[in-house]
Amino acid sequence: MNDMSSDKKPGALTKWSRRGFIGAGVLAGGGLLIGVAVRPGNPIGALAPKVAAGEGEQLINSWVKIDLDNVVTAIVPHCEMGQGTHSVLGQMLADELDADWSKVRVEQGPTDGSYVVTDTARMFLAPFTQNSADWIEPTWNGLFTQILKLEGSLGLITGGSSSIRTTGQGQMRVAGAAARGMLVGAAADEWGVPASEIETRDSTLIHKASGKSATYAEFATAAAEQTMDQTPKLKDPSQYRLIGKSKPRTDIPSKVDGSAQFGIDAAPEGLELAYAASIRPPVPGRRVASMDASKAKEMNGVLQILNMGDFVAVVADSYWQAQQALNRVKVTWTEPESAILTTEDQYAAFTKALDEAGATGGKAAAGKGDVTAALGSAATTLEAEYKVPYLAHAPMEPINCTAYVKDGKCDVWTSTQVPLRVRAALSEGTGIAREDITVHHPFLGGSFGRRLEAVYAVMAARVAQATGYPVKSIWSREEDTQKALYRPADISRFKAGLDEGGALIAYDNVFTQRDEPAEASVPGIYSIPNTAVRVAEAEALLPFAAWRSVDHSQHGWFIESFIDEAAHAAGADPYEYRLAMLTDAPRHAAVLKKVAENSDWSAPLPQGRSKGIAIVESFGTIVAQVIEVDMSSGKPSIENVWAVCDAGFVVNPDGFKNQIEGGIVFGLTAAMYGQLDLVDGGVKQSNFHDYKMLRMDEAPDIMVEIINSGDVPTGGAGEPGLPPAAPALTNAIFAATGKRLRELPIAKQFA
Amino acid sequence: MKKNAFLAAGLLTFLLAACGSSEPEPVVEQIVVREPGEPAPGAVTPAVADEGSEAAGEVDLAALGEEAFQVCTGCHNADPGGPSMAGPNLHGVVGSKAGSKPDYPYSEALASSDITWDYASLDRFLANPAAFVEGTSMVAGAVRDGEERAAIVAYLASTSEGS
Repeated sequence: MNDMSSDKKPGALTKWSRRGFIGAGVLAGGGLLIGVAVRPGNPIGALAPKVAAGEGEQLINSWVKIDLDNVVTAIVPHCEMGQGTHSVLGQMLADELDADWSKVRVEQGPTDGSYVVTDTARMFLAPFTQNSADWIEPTWNGLFTQILKLEGSLGLITGGSSSIRTTGQGQMRVAGAAARGMLVGAAADEWGVPASEIETRDSTLIHKASGKSATYAEFATAAAEQTMDQTPKLKDPSQYRLIGKSKPRTDIPSKVDGSAQFGIDAAPEGLELAYAASIRPPVPGRRVASMDASKAKEMNGVLQILNMGDFVAVVADSYWQAQQALNRVKVTWTEPESAILTTEDQYAAFTKALDEAGATGGKAAAGKGDVTAALGSAATTLEAEYKVPYLAHAPMEPINCTAYVKDGKCDVWTSTQVPLRVRAALSEGTGIAREDITVHHPFLGGSFGRRLEAVYAVMAARVAQATGYPVKSIWSREEDTQKALYRPADISRFKAGLDEGGALIAYDNVFTQRDEPAEASVPGIYSIPNTAVRVAEAEALLPFAAWRSVDHSQHGWFIESFIDEAAHAAGADPYEYRLAMLTDAPRHAAVLKKVAENSDWSAPLPQGRSKGIAIVESFGTIVAQVIEVDMSSGKPSIENVWAVCDAGFVVNPDGFKNQIEGGIVFGLTAAMYGQLDLVDGGVKQSNFHDYKMLRMDEAPDIMVEIINSGDVPTGGAGEPGLPPAAPALTNAIFAATGKRLRELPIAKQFA
Repeated sequence: MKKNAFLAAGLLTFLLAACGSSEPEPVVEQIVVREPGEPAPGAVTPAVADEGSEAAGEVDLAALGEEAFQVCTGCHNADPGGPSMAGPNLHGVVGSKAGSKPDYPYSEALASSDITWDYASLDRFLANPAAFVEGTSMVAGAVRDGEERAAIVAYLASTSEGS
């Protein structure tokens, strides 16, 4: 059968590698990574006008510019959505460059194909080089075929908790080291001394023997003429000055003083904007059947009312006027294509597929040993069925895009995780060539996977194209809650067999929705001799989107809940039970032991309080959590969360902890309240009153500890905090009440 | 509360979605009311009663109220059978018990208030919702102007007639 080994050999891509840098990222024949990370040779000539047009600015290599005030600017290809990647990528570059952190700035790279995130794209393209378990291969082969058709739309993706471990390790550090080498080379030539005798520190070149020193700015122009070292030597951890330290983020001042610009703030100079509100059908595929705009066109401020076929838009002098008028347009939609109209229908479709798959059917996702035989010989067997609802991303910044289409050219200003994907989609949607489209992408006010698609940008551009003048399109909160893309609902069924000592000898799991990452549904960290993971595919009415931690968000809860049930059936302590199965996973065992120690796991608690534990590895980072819940009021009150994380090596500990804390709160919000119901073939919930967020007064105290286990592939930060939160909480509620929760969300079950 | 986060790439679906190539879709219907910057042709400012519908010189309070109600439509719909949004559907609210729409999750305060909405109670509620029903989830949308309130309540009452 397939390989379910948890061994992760250090992957060539994610290791502290320098090969993502120059020219290496081109996929032969694929045409994917056009204008790779940094073009072979010295590309200054072509790029300088785009990123270093200012007076006195000198581009050293494609990622670094230095101005006359000795300010170093890192040019970063990833988007900033609050996760801190701009600053931390700058920190990685600045360390290798020996730059003065107080004089480091970060600038968003242009979206013209010059800058692409080679290593990130490769992580998505060829992940089997990171973890070559052969059960993934068919999935990736299919994916690969798709990718080759795409020409660069992945080229600027920010996602998969990947920026630091791909672009940071493979591109920014190399760029910093190469730039340092060029500055040193220029100084060595000018001073007539060997380059090896020149030291660098705080953006200064120093030659001790002759007493000479100079700022980087003084040699910036000469440095640009130096040959760029294609494979510069990177620092050893003992030499780090910035990496591994909690340097303050470069985006803090602008976010404190309010000058930070987000997509929705777009106010392009010289353009008088009109505003659009739009309404889409309950699900994609349905279309406008009729539109009655007789009332709306009489309303204040209205400029145009458009039936776009797949949506209706009102353009007005202000957004409020557009939305008010839109509320008065009577729209009917074509009949639903799906027979799934309600939540009950959706779960019935899942159940039907699971019933049909039966005890051994469905597609094998992973497996080893002989589960059927092992279940037959088990001393104890247990079964459980878990259920999760659809979830929305609900980012704080409303979905928006400002667009201007004129003279065959298109400019858009929008918050996006995938600017080149947006450009490709705009080209399809407007018929304008990609090179005539410019995507301006300021900060994102939250995203969580929501802004990995391009529909909203294409809608905005089509409206702007139809009107001929610049239009800012804004989705209402209701529209984004009901007409977006979603974390899928699902039902997951488990069977387990325990031997006489209680050890888990058989594990069978079948569910209906499998997206990615492929390993999310596999209990690969545990040593279980007989395992089957199966997919009984069933239709999901709502379209899929990656939602912070993607499949791990539901499978982390399924797996870690069921492991807890097995521990209970074995009469074992849930911590000890897990630890006993981590014999082949020393890093995971160390993380679990540490979280038990930090949370004082076995200490007695006051009446009504209990702890639950869970461990999930996702996006290369191992995270274990213990949650303490107080059930004495009859409703869960989340008191404490202890998290321990092993991401290999953490570049900015404060930023990393911040991301883990954010992931925990996001996960607890979903676990407590997150639920979208289907009514009449669409989403019922509409706004924050019925799609609740965890409030400040409900948020627990969170303690995060980092283990730097060293020379292993670097893990991500944005998502891995989330998956263990829900199971640690429901396991704690079980420990306190004896009530095993097999459905999310939690709060309504204690109403 | 915490910072935003990195997100995962929904790669598979993302890619599949990216592959369909199609012609730009034509606009089905484009109603041009006016160009930007042009003055509005007879745009609606507070509606005056249609002549003939009332005695000359009198205003149709419900018609005025329907216009005034537009500021409420960010959260409320008053069409028969219309959806509840951030706030409940208000069709036929006058004469109904507070908290009685089955599809809307009312605050406990409102649901247990035992109010039957009439002109007077709606007027007081709209003037300052939280003061009238402490704990209501209607945290925005108070209507300070008494005449405007009267018009809105008249409009809401008109939706009750004959329904």
